[in-house]
Amino acid sequence: MTGPTTPTAHAYGARTPPWPRGVRAAVGRVLRAGVAVSAATLLAGYVVALVSDPGMFGSHAVEHGHLVARAVFPHSLAAIWDGIGRGRGEAIIVAGLLVLLLTPVAGLVAAAVAFARRRDWLFAAISATVLSVILGSFVIGWLA
Amino acid sequence: MNLAELSLVLFGTSVLAGALGSLLGLGGGFVIVPVLTLVFHLDIRLAIGTSIVAVAATSSAGAARNVTGSITNLRVATFLALATTVGAVTGALVSPLFDARVLFGLFGLILGASGVQMVRKHPLRLATAPGRLRAVKAPPVLEGASGPDETALALQAVSASSGSPGATGGGRLARRLALDSAYFDEAAGLEVPYVVAHTGLGLSLMYVAGMVSGLLGIGSGVLKVPAMDLAMNIPMKVSTATSNLLIGLTAAASAVVYLARGDIDPFLAGPVALGVLLGATVGSRFLVRIHSEHLRTLFLAALCVVAVQMLWKGIS
Repeated sequence: MTGPTTPTAHAYGARTPPWPRGVRAAVGRVLRAGVAVSAATLLAGYVVALVSDPGMFGSHAVEHGHLVARAVFPHSLAAIWDGIGRGRGEAIIVAGLLVLLLTPVAGLVAAAVAFARRRDWLFAAISATVLSVILGSFVIGWLA
Repeated sequence: MNLAELSLVLFGTSVLAGALGSLLGLGGGFVIVPVLTLVFHLDIRLAIGTSIVAVAATSSAGAARNVTGSITNLRVATFLALATTVGAVTGALVSPLFDARVLFGLFGLILGASGVQMVRKHPLRLATAPGRLRAVKAPPVLEGASGPDETALALQAVSASSGSPGATGGGRLARRLALDSAYFDEAAGLEVPYVVAHTGLGLSLMYVAGMVSGLLGIGSGVLKVPAMDLAMNIPMKVSTATSNLLIGLTAAASAVVYLARGDIDPFLAGPVALGVLLGATVGSRFLVRIHSEHLRTLFLAALCVVAVQMLWKGIS
């Protein structure tokens, strides 16, 4: 398969897929895997919560049109990990949400790797730059 | 209402939000945030945290399907992500300096203006009018199935009618980055080639869209789609599919911050995530089949809803 930047590819540029099929397939695979793992984790969290604390789902969540405030939920990595270890449903659900939030980033990593393997250095550099901006925002977020 | 009933209501709403969001390149927050804040009087902080989860779910489930086909332009998405992610970080950093109400009002006005522009530009857009595309008499071609002749013909037709965007400076940058592409439109029954224009302007608009995301905690696909459709001359379907991929990356840049701050309640975000995943998986299947004209109408309707929400927040 010819690279997208070759003159031949450009002469028929309108027919050139946005990326070589292999790169798009790699990104698609990672996104589908992320979605599947996240959905399975979320469902598992619900099953665990239903089995361990069925009364919670019968508790009042909305009164007079207002949501009832609930206890704090795990949101640090240590608390999530600890909660999973103790078989807490909400910790497993948060883990599933974290997988979901990181899935687009995993897709970008797959793209960067696939570009580098195809020696499309310009786009490998662009995706690596985007990745470093996102990772930088994680650091800022944890410190702030 | 108990927690089980609330979960079911949120799940049902989210299926709709995910289906609409994946079609229109939006995060679905425009459906979920009003339901959470107006119906259940939820604190806006938790509503935004839940909305960010919906954005990531729409993006991943929607893009998972379309990225493998020809409809998402991944080169465009990667290149524009440079501007949206930097913009999102800038927005998050400077947000304490601005009055949120002024920002919401301003954003509402920008949306109104881009809506008016989309309506005005619509009749001129050949790439989005399947009826006129058929007049080019390019036979339905499957990817890699035919020689370059028909495509070159169709490409000439597109360039001629859209004022030859390839001749502009943006066109040169687009060529250098090999952004021009084509997608197979099932509704029109043919392959639609397109030439990307005004890449620099598009990049600037994406920076603004990213900044709005960081400032207001929204996906801002509602700005990204017009930026690609209007400024960069990218067909509507490709714009929404590409926006779909972009919003996930923009959301990821702020989502971890929200999670660490404790703004994501698992029993609100859980049913929303599952519902949106289902809705977006189903909705993205229709993107190749829907007529671009219908897609544009639907998008304009959603844009009006968001614009009214934002103006209302700016006033109240």
